Amino acid sequence: MKLLNLLNANIRKEYIELKRYLPNTIAMLLTFYIIFLAMFAGIQVIGDPTTQDMNIQYVIVNYIFWYLTMIVVNDIGWQLSNEATQGTLEQLGMSPMGIWRIMAARLVSSTLVHILIIIGLLYLSMATTGQWLNIDVITLIPIFILTLISMFGLGFIIAGITVILKQIQAFLQILQFILAALAFVPLSVAPFLAFFPIVKGVDLVRQVMIDGASITQIGYSDFLILGFNAIIYFFIGLSIFLYCERVAMKKGLLAHY
Amino acid sequence: MEPIVKVRNVEKAYRKRKSKEMIQAVNSISFDVYKGEIVGLLGPNGAGKTTTIKMICGLLKPDSGSISINSIDTDSHRLKALTHISAVLEGNRNLYWRLSVRENMEYFAGNRGISRKEVAPLINDLLDKFHLKSKEHELVNRLSRGMQQKLAIAVAMLAESDVILLDEPTLGLDVETGYEVRTILKNIVKEYNRTIIISSHDMDVIQDICERTIIINHGSIVTDDRVENLLKLFEVRSYTVSLGGLLSSMQQQLLTQKFPNHTYVSDSYQSTLEIDLLKSEEIYDLFDILKLQATPVESIDRQTVNFEQIFMKIVKGEKTHEVAQSS
Repeated sequence: MKLLNLLNANIRKEYIELKRYLPNTIAMLLTFYIIFLAMFAGIQVIGDPTTQDMNIQYVIVNYIFWYLTMIVVNDIGWQLSNEATQGTLEQLGMSPMGIWRIMAARLVSSTLVHILIIIGLLYLSMATTGQWLNIDVITLIPIFILTLISMFGLGFIIAGITVILKQIQAFLQILQFILAALAFVPLSVAPFLAFFPIVKGVDLVRQVMIDGASITQIGYSDFLILGFNAIIYFFIGLSIFLYCERVAMKKGLLAHY
Repeated sequence: MEPIVKVRNVEKAYRKRKSKEMIQAVNSISFDVYKGEIVGLLGPNGAGKTTTIKMICGLLKPDSGSISINSIDTDSHRLKALTHISAVLEGNRNLYWRLSVRENMEYFAGNRGISRKEVAPLINDLLDKFHLKSKEHELVNRLSRGMQQKLAIAVAMLAESDVILLDEPTLGLDVETGYEVRTILKNIVKEYNRTIIISSHDMDVIQDICERTIIINHGSIVTDDRVENLLKLFEVRSYTVSLGGLLSSMQQQLLTQKFPNHTYVSDSYQSTLEIDLLKSEEIYDLFDILKLQATPVESIDRQTVNFEQIFMKIVKGEKTHEVAQSS
């Protein structure tokens, strides 16, 4: 029950801040849409006409997935960095729920709130391009959940580094390009990337949304890799975060900026 | 009676970032705080007050020693111990400025696992008591500093913890708001039966609301006594002696030997002597010195000392209080 109250409080905060700073939210979404339009125009102008439809479909899926990854992984770093500047990080550190549970609640709540925006953006992108993708909810949900868990692991790593270093804005700028590379890279080019976070997930999403694969057509081995990635990255991420928290408490870094 | 906060032989050292030199911030300190007490933690800048407070609230791990809250060890059972403690460490900076007063209270309660519905009556009560009801939907960045400070304390109250730690609760507040905050703190102890540990530079605040004061200097406890005892002790020992003439150089020499911390001010015909006596019998030594040249004594007044003077005396000459206590 306490965990539910914690999650509820964080979802509410996320929603309030998005609503209260509506012009900022709108500007963020407009930026997303304008960049998408630029990519769409680029494919139409300089792309190969024979593979144009396929390329547009790839861009829609990859770009939407990249946005989701940025929200989950990058945003937690920005949030913590801001909290350290504001002075609220110490208050989080004094919660009997533990900072890691609050961070987990933040990751889940920002995902839940932004997932609605992402669905809207997905349909807007499809309507703009006239490319309607296969939205097989039953197949997509388990892939999404398992991929999100590995993303949360990455989020914990970023949160842990932020707790220690605080000034990681430059790193976060670079990270968004690393995340873009992971979201856009086709698995066929480098199969070993299946064990990298999110790569297998976005590949399976492409199979479902572009190639029309259903849950029965996706092999157990694919789900096994997804599940393995989810457990490993979440465990590694949480362990790194808890270690960083211990270091911060030993060196007194929770309040310093 | 079992203390609610037990600090035993706690030590903490930091390594300086540039020189890598180790700084002993807290040096084997021990003290107890009992339920319902308001204890002031005083000390000059860099004395180790904030480090001590942060170790008590589990934000900083001591190098050695132990801290327990309600008999729960903060090292081995940190999260459990945190259910008994809340703190306002950086005043208005401990709040989310983009959220309203009520939203802040609800969010912090939620972060402790308390639902909005469950906490609503307590929020309403605190908004009334802290005179924030009319501002409950106002964004924090639009509130005055005093109101932000009151809100930060109200947020700490939401946890319904036994112990509340406050680091400089009246810093930067105007006289009126500072007074209001003091009244609120006194009521918290009286009405809600909470224990408060305050770190402050404001001696008036400590003198006004604290029953007991722990003075820390260079990471060690210099004194730990009730405020009224300290006031009484120093009041008895500080005298201003008005003399109808001047002291000879021999008398001044003897005074310096016997009372090294005295102050002697003279004009052409008369002089004033300010003197601290370690033992009341020492007044006879003073008379002996004055008698040598038959210096006329016009008056002897016991000085009224305020807490700031006491603090300065203790911090400057740490052994003074220990000797005085034993006499």
